Amino acid sequence: MAARGGLKAVILGTLAVAAAYASAFFPGGAPRWAAWAMGVGIGLLSVGLLALGAARPGRRLGLLWLPLALTFVILVGGFGLALALPGGEGPATRLWLGLPPRAAIILYGIGILPVLVLPLAYALSFRRMTLDAADIERVRAAAAERSQVPGSGGR
Amino acid sequence: MNLAFGLQSVPLPRASQPIIIAVSGLYVAVVAAIAVWAARRTRTSKDFFIAGGGIGVGTLAIAAMAATLSGFAFIGGPGLVYTLGFGALFIVLPASLTNTMCAWVLAKRMRLLGGARGLITVPDAIGARYRSPAAQGLAGLAILVAIVGYMATNILALGLVLDAVFGSGLSLGIWLGAAVVLAYSAAGGMLAGVYTDVFQGAVMAAASVLVFGYALATGGGLGGISTTILAADPGFLGPWGKLTPLAALSFFFVFGLGALGQPHVIHKFYMLKDPLRLKWYPLLMTAALLVTLLLFFGVGVAVKAEVLRGGMAPLARADDATPQFLLRYTPGLLAGIVFAGVSAAIMSTVNSFLSVGAAAITHDIPLALGYRMRNELRWGRISTVGLSLAAAVVAQLSGTLVAFLGIFGWGLFASTLVPSLAIGLNWAGATRAGALASIATGLVTTLAFESAAYFKLYTFPAGVTVSGLSLVLSLLAFFGISALTRHQAGDIDPDVVLVMET
Repeated sequence: MAARGGLKAVILGTLAVAAAYASAFFPGGAPRWAAWAMGVGIGLLSVGLLALGAARPGRRLGLLWLPLALTFVILVGGFGLALALPGGEGPATRLWLGLPPRAAIILYGIGILPVLVLPLAYALSFRRMTLDAADIERVRAAAAERSQVPGSGGR
Repeated sequence: MNLAFGLQSVPLPRASQPIIIAVSGLYVAVVAAIAVWAARRTRTSKDFFIAGGGIGVGTLAIAAMAATLSGFAFIGGPGLVYTLGFGALFIVLPASLTNTMCAWVLAKRMRLLGGARGLITVPDAIGARYRSPAAQGLAGLAILVAIVGYMATNILALGLVLDAVFGSGLSLGIWLGAAVVLAYSAAGGMLAGVYTDVFQGAVMAAASVLVFGYALATGGGLGGISTTILAADPGFLGPWGKLTPLAALSFFFVFGLGALGQPHVIHKFYMLKDPLRLKWYPLLMTAALLVTLLLFFGVGVAVKAEVLRGGMAPLARADDATPQFLLRYTPGLLAGIVFAGVSAAIMSTVNSFLSVGAAAITHDIPLALGYRMRNELRWGRISTVGLSLAAAVVAQLSGTLVAFLGIFGWGLFASTLVPSLAIGLNWAGATRAGALASIATGLVTTLAFESAAYFKLYTFPAGVTVSGLSLVLSLLAFFGISALTRHQAGDIDPDVVLVMET
């Protein structure tokens, strides 16, 4: 279920990025929506791959969907705000943590915020979602079984 | 647009101060000591190519970080920030999520598959996943093509750093640099590589943090730096810097998704002793990477502010940003550590390339041709010597040729390995034909597009990164051909299915 959703997101993201690139070949260059398509495509691809990698047959993502959804919001929201907010940075621009607002959204939002979410989500869900000793034992047993088959050739 | 901007190809400012020479000399001595230690422990091809499969997760994270960052993070990157402003950060911003993505998508499955099948190379995993020596061989060929050029550019950059520090002259610098990396790579293989990576990664991280502190202090804090820049060049601190939004986002796409296809990094997953320790890999790797990238951002903006304030003359070349900043604003000892850090970054990347390239020559390509080397350790060492010599000769030949070969690296790895390996290990619907089509598409389009752009046969539209275009075409080929050949989709060995479902 989660794997299928992740795969769909990856395919949709690929198509969005492809559309953004294709539009740049139009006469007159890339239209305004190209950057939006690229931003949404990156969000879909990133979160789709995270879900695809985390998913395991017969197990729900559980609370893991929260950090994944948050990552999607951070990416698409961050790129979207940078695209949508008015520009015109200048000497009078009020700084957020030392940077103009749109740059701060990109650096602190997209460059830092996922660091506080994803590695911890990975570590905290590791035993339940990713790997435990029983998983390793199952793989070892399958490998041992395969090595008994004549002509399996190791690799 | 191509990715050639980060290649160090012009001389650096002279840095032949006694303290810098002493620190650099000490650094080479430590690397040599590690090499001697590792060489005594390298007895099998498993030791040589995957460090015996016995490293811990901290070692894995720092070694992967050191292999990820070449000299570009210290020299080309800050120069790019100085030139392009905030837009240059889109190359490194994906680091906030790529390591967790890599852990979920690849780390566990590659480590388990490697353990179950005794795999030693990245194309091995492709061969096992699709039961296809052809896919393995084609992936090995793509890796080899990318590595020769990538290594030549790194050896050239190393020669330039050694020339700047020791005043050796470029030609001798290239041969000296190649000889040092070759010595520890051929003698100790990945065992030497991984432990020198840890030392080198620690040097890089320490240097980056200290220089970042000096950069902020020089400019009056980040707020002071921003105020100076906004008064004179506000576009520099716009969210996309001097780039168009599409171009900046294109960087994010290529460097974000492409991180899943860098063989010199992901093949280190085979080396982890206990797969349960992967739990902390994303946290450790991301922290190490972000700390080491502080210099990339800090020096770029601090130098821009200093130039605008009149404290420094405008740079003749963007790549002078870090050397000029170090020589002017930091103590000699720190400058020495950073120059050693640059050498460390380059050497750790070259060493990883050597290992992966030697494995392609002695293992992946012969297997695709139905032949297995009898003594992979000996031939691995011979291939390492051959690759080093080839890279050093190419680096000597011509700056133009080196730059041309160097632009392939990241994009070629990404377009040939991300679909077939990163997605293929997580999607049972991927087929052998889909994998072959995507690897071939990535190889052909990257070479053709980069050649067309480099030789000015065709100008790609603004915002289109050649590597990004090749990657998206490779993904489309992968999904499209897999859909058309879905009757083959179940053709996966049971143990591989188990790994994919674990």
